[in-house]
Amino acid sequence: MENTPAGWPKRPRAFLLAGLFSWLLMPAAGQADEPPAPLSVEAHGLVLKVTPLSAEQKTAFYLARGFTTAEIEPYARACGFSFSLENREQPLLRYRLANWSVEAEGRVRRFVLPSDWDREWERRGLGASPRIAFRWAQFPAEQEFARGDWIMGMASLLERPAGPLRILARIDLGEQTLELPIDSLFCAPLD
Amino acid sequence: MAQGSGFTPLSERRPAPALVLPDMDDKAWNLAELRGRVVVVNFWATWCPPCRREFPSLERLQKHFPPKDLQVIAVNVGEDVDTIFAFTGTPAIPVLLDQDAKAMTSWRVGGLPSTYVIDRDGSIILRALGGREFDDPASLAQLGAVIAR
Repeated sequence: MENTPAGWPKRPRAFLLAGLFSWLLMPAAGQADEPPAPLSVEAHGLVLKVTPLSAEQKTAFYLARGFTTAEIEPYARACGFSFSLENREQPLLRYRLANWSVEAEGRVRRFVLPSDWDREWERRGLGASPRIAFRWAQFPAEQEFARGDWIMGMASLLERPAGPLRILARIDLGEQTLELPIDSLFCAPLD
Repeated sequence: MAQGSGFTPLSERRPAPALVLPDMDDKAWNLAELRGRVVVVNFWATWCPPCRREFPSLERLQKHFPPKDLQVIAVNVGEDVDTIFAFTGTPAIPVLLDQDAKAMTSWRVGGLPSTYVIDRDGSIILRALGGREFDDPASLAQLGAVIAR
């Protein structure tokens, strides 16, 4: 697994055990029956919305895109979110997902980039069609927005922090970097 | 999320990359052969909610302008004809099949939906990232101006 990203589980069994362990540690707030509500932040004419995605949601989406249940399981069990980012006012902005951070349990984590997932799918021998669908349904790794542009997509962590998460989205406005925090997020329940 | 409005002018014109793909009836389309018309190229997929929402407006946009002046082309990424047909039925615009996403890559598409306006000389001059209503007054005015040049 030379190409696996930093922090990627070295063995599927270890990954499953880690997922199970995280599930056991999940707080009651993350196990509510109701689907998690989106959280949003609006500043400087930008609107960022984040919605936790359940394993069931992710599995259903990708089963319809050519994955098998076993193939999508690592992604489904990861802590995932749906993002939408809209530029209502800025002449131009840029972001790189690699520069966004997630703080939880006293640690800073980064989102897994679409190219990292794709290397994993390639390693597992997945066909082109599901890989293409996966790639383009993810929140882009980097993007340039003019006024009026907006985009949505999914992004995930490898781990499932039990405590509340704080996402810090960094947006390059040219002469300044804007930091948009979204607090009090939880990973969606696994079941 | 509301659909956006209008296109963004590119700071620098750049030649449109090659686009040679079959449509749903296996007819070959070549963007180079449309030189002399304004062409709207939309990259999309049926599983993309804003793409689905804006698709009917692309069909309505085509009705605003004769194809000799403006041609709308939708490029589907990675899906088969049956999947596309279940959403579009018989579309009013050509839907090209980019099944290996190579066109998406060569066009440097960063996300779906993405839409480009190519002028009569074959240069990309306008762009829209994210869903739009392409027959809204702002878009029609911009496209009308490009056609009139």
